[in-house]
Amino acid sequence: MSIYNTAVNKPISTLMVFLAIMVLGIASYIQLPVDQYPKMDPPYITVMATYPGANAADIEENVTKILEDQLNSVDDLKEMTSTSYDNLSVISLEFEWEVNLDEASNDVRDAVDKSMSKLPDDIDRPTIMRFNTSMMPILIYAVTAEESYPGIDKILDDKLITRLNRVDGVASVIVAGAPERVVYVDLDPNKLDAYNLTLEQIGNKILAENKDISSGNVKMGDMDYTLRVEGEFEESDQIKNIVLGTQNNKIIYLRDVANIRDTLKDITLEQSINRGKGGVLMVTKQTDANAVAVAKQAKQEIEKTMKELPSDIKFQIISDNSDFIIKSINNLQDSLMYALIFVVLIVFLFLGRWRATFIIALTIPISLIVAFIYLFATGESLNIISLSSLSIAIGMVVDDAIVVLENITKHIDRGSRPREAAKYGTNEVWLSVIVTTLVTVAVFFPLTLVSGMTGILFKQLGWIVCITVCTSTVTAISLTPMLCSQLMKIQEKTDSNKFSFYNFVSRMLEKLDNVYERLIRWVLVHKTVTILSMFALFFASLFLFKMVKTDFMPQNDQNYLNVYAKMQSGQRVEVTKQVALDIDSVIRNSIPEITLINLSYGSEEEASFASMMNSTGNNILNMRLRTVDLKDRKRSVFEIADQVRGILKQFPDILQYTVTTSSGGSMGGNTVDIEIMGHDFNTTTNLAHTIATQARTIPGAEDIKISRDEDKSELRVILDQNKLARHGLTTSEVGSYLRNRIYGYRNSKFKENGEEYDIIVRFDEKYRSTLSEIENIIIVDAKGQKVRLKELGEIEEFFSPPNIERKSKQRILKVSITPAAGIALGDIATAAQSMLDKLEDVPQDVSLYIGGSYEDQQESFGSLIMLLLLSLMLVYIVMAAQFESFKMPFIIMLAIPFAFTGVILALLLTNTTMSIVAALGAIMLVGIVTKNGIVLIDFINLMRERGIRLYDAIAQACRSRLRPVLMTSLTTILGMVPMALSVGEGSETWRPMGIAVIGGMIFSTIITMIIVPAVYAAMDKSGSRDKQKNLRKQFKFMSDFDAERDLPKKK
Amino acid sequence: MKKAVFITYNQALTERVAYILDQLQIRGFTQWPLVNGAGTIDGEPRMGTHTWPEMNSATLTIVEEEMVPLILKYVKNLDEVNKENGIRAFVWDITGMY
Repeated sequence: MSIYNTAVNKPISTLMVFLAIMVLGIASYIQLPVDQYPKMDPPYITVMATYPGANAADIEENVTKILEDQLNSVDDLKEMTSTSYDNLSVISLEFEWEVNLDEASNDVRDAVDKSMSKLPDDIDRPTIMRFNTSMMPILIYAVTAEESYPGIDKILDDKLITRLNRVDGVASVIVAGAPERVVYVDLDPNKLDAYNLTLEQIGNKILAENKDISSGNVKMGDMDYTLRVEGEFEESDQIKNIVLGTQNNKIIYLRDVANIRDTLKDITLEQSINRGKGGVLMVTKQTDANAVAVAKQAKQEIEKTMKELPSDIKFQIISDNSDFIIKSINNLQDSLMYALIFVVLIVFLFLGRWRATFIIALTIPISLIVAFIYLFATGESLNIISLSSLSIAIGMVVDDAIVVLENITKHIDRGSRPREAAKYGTNEVWLSVIVTTLVTVAVFFPLTLVSGMTGILFKQLGWIVCITVCTSTVTAISLTPMLCSQLMKIQEKTDSNKFSFYNFVSRMLEKLDNVYERLIRWVLVHKTVTILSMFALFFASLFLFKMVKTDFMPQNDQNYLNVYAKMQSGQRVEVTKQVALDIDSVIRNSIPEITLINLSYGSEEEASFASMMNSTGNNILNMRLRTVDLKDRKRSVFEIADQVRGILKQFPDILQYTVTTSSGGSMGGNTVDIEIMGHDFNTTTNLAHTIATQARTIPGAEDIKISRDEDKSELRVILDQNKLARHGLTTSEVGSYLRNRIYGYRNSKFKENGEEYDIIVRFDEKYRSTLSEIENIIIVDAKGQKVRLKELGEIEEFFSPPNIERKSKQRILKVSITPAAGIALGDIATAAQSMLDKLEDVPQDVSLYIGGSYEDQQESFGSLIMLLLLSLMLVYIVMAAQFESFKMPFIIMLAIPFAFTGVILALLLTNTTMSIVAALGAIMLVGIVTKNGIVLIDFINLMRERGIRLYDAIAQACRSRLRPVLMTSLTTILGMVPMALSVGEGSETWRPMGIAVIGGMIFSTIITMIIVPAVYAAMDKSGSRDKQKNLRKQFKFMSDFDAERDLPKKK
Repeated sequence: MKKAVFITYNQALTERVAYILDQLQIRGFTQWPLVNGAGTIDGEPRMGTHTWPEMNSATLTIVEEEMVPLILKYVKNLDEVNKENGIRAFVWDITGMY
């Protein structure tokens, strides 16, 4: 009992099976998470260690190297990069894609534990985080406040951050620029000297006073009392009144030698939001979490908390990646709907019957819904790739049903009862339907085998197309015959004069058939001319290919701009602030689309998360700009970025700047990085500058950035060992004396309402801001004598690099080049490579590489070419088996080069770059365009076997197959049109794919319909005559027969 | 007058029988691709069983009287190539048709 017989005989069971699939599919669809791409965040783990007070070089030597040595042996590690900042060491570990992050983080934890004994004693335990520091936060809020500003840090910390941290998938929540409360004890060194006190004594005195001590129990009568000594400060004012000692019978209070301030910490990293006071709240997600789900929950928490917060605290979104993702997915779903409507219209146009169209159209939702079940079952998401795959599949899933329906209609038109027609009609074609599906699967299945980053994109596409196409075949041979048997009616011979849509369409198509048949007959006579001119066209297009610009991933317009500007190294933060405000006003005046400007400049005293996201410094300005929504403005964010670049150029203070337009996600980069590996700072920095200067001469190279900042000026105390020895001092003792006086002595905390605030004891600023003040700092030596610093050594000015980057345990320095708008990444890379080759006197211990997005692009294109070859082989194999011929597949595959010609033309005409997505479209064409050839060749072969003469067979076959070919091609083309035309959020990503497929399809369909018949005729000329001759030779028993002589003459 | 020619033969001869009909330009025929049978005198039984695994085919064609000798001639020719295969043709009259 075959599947179609069962389906026709049991219509209700069949209906129920498909209904069950629909229900499951819709249930899956509702629960599917939404994301931008398939899960493709590279598995990153970051290890971060803070060691306050150490400069970058110390951090590198004492922290980074030690951790790196241990971490290097972790399994499945792909690449290890590290940056040593002042006070902070950040090590980024990139793992292989297949790795289990839980196991990896356990391994990392073990490695960190092993290295603990070798790390400096007073270092904080390194933190291990599952995210990539180069990834932008998924949510950035600007938090502004009026009256509550001084307490905003505590308010946010209490009410919001603890809640947000509980949200599943949140990696970290950072508040940057919010002020912290602190108690300063600013000492006057002259008075200390006069009273014979040291800073350490005062610090310890504060600690000693700021204590509650329980002193045991006291039994008195019937009662048992606990005895306590209470000294903890209840108010910061009490600190003033601490008695330090007596001199000349006079009590010395702390207030006599110090100025005590309970105030906000001097912020050195300042944030301003539209010129108002405020901070920036950033939420980052864990590597393997879903951005949209995390953002949604985080937003709900913020909503809820807002009610509990003081009313003057306001939140404004600066960047929200999830919003962009949701909007772009909705956009793509709309495109999908339009595609569905277009396809149904095309089917109706060709069939001219409502019932038939309905039966065909029904296969679309069923096939698509099975894809949703697949996505749900494998834990995948609705994303750009999965939805574009469906968009492609939409045009292909109707093909099988059309073939089946046409054959059933033929039987019904002959007067069979629908039930019988459905059974026998399906029986005749079901095998060929399955074979054509196999060809499609042959092209798309290899996509599932690609590995690496591109593999993740292609895997989903491959599976979805395979699954939907297979489902459509199953539907075509079960549901379609069942519906035909129920819905179709016996066609009575209708009056052909009567006007109906069906008749009208038939007449128009008839005319088209005639024109085409005449064309084919002309082509058959002029085969050589046709074939040669076609090939000339193809080779001409190969030259055009050089003009197509290549790109990695299309950039998206996300209403967001990030500006990084660097000024003179060592510049005071006040100057930076002035420049920042000037830029702010220019941008505000000249770019009306900007709604929010967040300025951030200066560096934090202690390294924090915020300083990892953006490089910060007193001379560095970071700006976040938010524009109005895409639909409310005419210019794209890229044009605005160009204008911002122009504005930045006008400011002579700005030495280097970059303007980036993407947020969130690790795919934003679009740079060529020249990596310089070498140990010596001077050599590599000089080389980097030489390269940067030369790179500026490359046409189209913009935003040239050297990853190592200008050397930072540094004051270094050089101690004289002899003098130290004479005073019984050591370097570390002198060091800690200085640290306490300048950085501050922080051993005690002031407690209020369960919160602890640092009490910082240090010299008043005016006593530590000139060189002579520092030289005059008094140090008490081992004998109790006072020595001035200048008696122990000298202070000299030095330069040191502010951060040290390392890759695979070697110091590295990157010169990154961003291509200007309209310039291809590949061109820049080639120019850079030839520049490097010409570079003279490169020191021997320095090595140079080209990396960055260009490296990724090369890798991806490499695997794409492999994929293309694999697909071509498989298609050839399947077709050779189907046609039992070595040459037929060649004839059919002739269409493929022309598909690429079409892609090239389409990309050039629309001025689109050849990115991964466009290449993906081009590869899919291999599968789609061969289908046309198969239909044609199959029918020509059939005609030939029926003994029709070659040219007639070709002309007739072409005529009769024109409609099916046009129909399937048009459904695919129109299915992609909404994608190619969409302009909303995120459309930049999929538009190239739509354009590539449409261009390739149109061109290859037209060419296939002409060149395949011509080549067939050229290759098969003598084939069948030879066959007859052979037969005669074998069958000798009839050799004496002569038809002319022996056959009776007809009357 | 039309005659019916019934040709029965080992299925291995199928293509050659088709060739005869094609050469003699006989278009109409009815064919049973698989039939059982055995020769009257020494023809080996064709039962499609384990004992007698081979099978016969049968073709019935209705032709003009003049064609009959030609058919019989070439059937005999074919039979003489190898007697083991076995092919026989039988002719009878057609008394009426639609």
